[in-house]
Amino acid sequence: PEYSKFTQQELPACKPILTPKWVVSVFFLVGVVFVPVGVVSLLAAQDVVEIIDRYDHACVPPNMTDNKLAYIKNDTISKECTRILTVTKEMKQPIYVYYQLDNFYQNHRRYVKSRNDAQLRDYKKSNTTTSCDPERFTADGKPIVPCGLIAWSLFNDTYSFTRGKENLTVNKKDISWKSDREHKFAKNVYPSNFQNGALIGGKKLNSSIPLSEQEDLIVWMRTAALPTFRKLYGRIYVDLKANDTITVRLSNNYNTYSFGGKKKLVLSTATWLGGKNDFLGFAYLIVGGLCIFLAFAFTLLYLIKPRLVAFELRSITVK
Amino acid sequence: MSLYNVLFTSLPVIAMGVFDQDVSARFCLKYPMLYQEGPQNLLFRWSRLLGWMLHGVGSAVIIFFLTIASLKHQAFRKDGEVIDLSILGATAYTCVVWAVNMQMAITVNYFTLIQHICIWSGIFLWYLFLIIYGAITPSFSTTFFMVFSEALGGAPAYWVVTLLVAVAALIPYFTLAVVKTWFFPDYHNKIQWLQHAAKHADPEEELGVVLRQFSVRSTGVGVSARRDAKLVRTNSKVIHADSSSQSQATVELT
Repeated sequence: PEYSKFTQQELPACKPILTPKWVVSVFFLVGVVFVPVGVVSLLAAQDVVEIIDRYDHACVPPNMTDNKLAYIKNDTISKECTRILTVTKEMKQPIYVYYQLDNFYQNHRRYVKSRNDAQLRDYKKSNTTTSCDPERFTADGKPIVPCGLIAWSLFNDTYSFTRGKENLTVNKKDISWKSDREHKFAKNVYPSNFQNGALIGGKKLNSSIPLSEQEDLIVWMRTAALPTFRKLYGRIYVDLKANDTITVRLSNNYNTYSFGGKKKLVLSTATWLGGKNDFLGFAYLIVGGLCIFLAFAFTLLYLIKPRLVAFELRSITVK
Repeated sequence: MSLYNVLFTSLPVIAMGVFDQDVSARFCLKYPMLYQEGPQNLLFRWSRLLGWMLHGVGSAVIIFFLTIASLKHQAFRKDGEVIDLSILGATAYTCVVWAVNMQMAITVNYFTLIQHICIWSGIFLWYLFLIIYGAITPSFSTTFFMVFSEALGGAPAYWVVTLLVAVAALIPYFTLAVVKTWFFPDYHNKIQWLQHAAKHADPEEELGVVLRQFSVRSTGVGVSARRDAKLVRTNSKVIHADSSSQSQATVELT
């Protein structure tokens, strides 16, 4: 080939090499950047106030605690339950209300696949139920809208909050992602033949409300990544003061007893970093600290053992 | 997902294979002993290959678990939204793209403009892909729809996690690379140090001195050579990496 800098591989280049100066500076720089970021993240996490209340065991009536499955499946037993929560620190609005499920694998492959997005999106495709097995058709062959296991297992506990005599309204608007409401769940698709079968998996849907306004369904169908997850139930736009007592009236409908799951109610504030996440701050501090330690270690090694091949060559040539 | 292998990481690897030079052409001619790295199978030993594979597995473990632990079940944005499968996936994917491209940057010995372009465009293309693919109608982009534009791009937690995970995944390799080139250099590493030193000193004459010193160290033939080598070894604290029994003193300057 014709001679050119490119073909003869003589392009201008820098040849970086791991000199002590470079190595120590890189480690030190990383450490110096990471430690403050870690501190800031930790402070943000400490600012978050969280109230977590596990209620699935406590809400079972005392005479049925050794047969929870029978309790949850029996429709005649009232599922109403009252819980008292105490606010530990002042919580500024908006206060986010979540329900947290433990040991619920929404990320199981068959579960994640059990939905039909075309049906949710398009009114004309209401009859398509492919990949929704086993929740495709009712017993008499009518297509279910929305089909699939994800929709079928819709969470159906409800919560209402009072503080003393005052009712704390839970705002349930805009709890789902905007892109879901506007593009994935149509305004003219209505639930039909839903939860009609012998096995009821969760909530029943009002068939006169279009899917784009069924926000609980939309939130639920955004499958969680980990077996312990929270989903947004609503927001409370009231400030809560320290030592306030919140009375929660909840209906304990959802069956988590058959698979050893847990249900928890969570009230939490949020900062720029999100919810209470101590791990991020600690991870940054640890990595930053490690880098600074390595910087010092390598500096020490360079000072103690300068007669290495690497440095020896330098010292020879400089003579 | 196959786009990953094809688009986001193939370009820097190809560029590295084609353009990287661990030792410049001039030095290659001066040190024919470098050629011994082939017959002595120094670069394709099982231990080296397994080391790289282990590094791949280790980095994957670090990225996976750190990402999950950093984004657990609580909200990740100011407006209280929680993560879901697609958000966690996109975050982990981002960390991988960063880690792999930065790994290239650390490994490459010969940084031409082309390497720069490949590495930085690899990262830039990933974000471009997220934005563009995420803007296509959900019937095509399914779970990727708006995942960056709506959920991740404006979440400080996303960027904070990416920085942490990408750097954490690279620290082990970087540390080992430093320890290797400082304390256990391969022959071509030694030449690289020489190259670097030569840049800071007077060329030919000093090089001759260094060369002679250097070749004496690597020799192993003859009584006097062995005696000299022993003397040098006991006086200095240099650590040798390659088996000197096979290497002949082919580089001699008189």
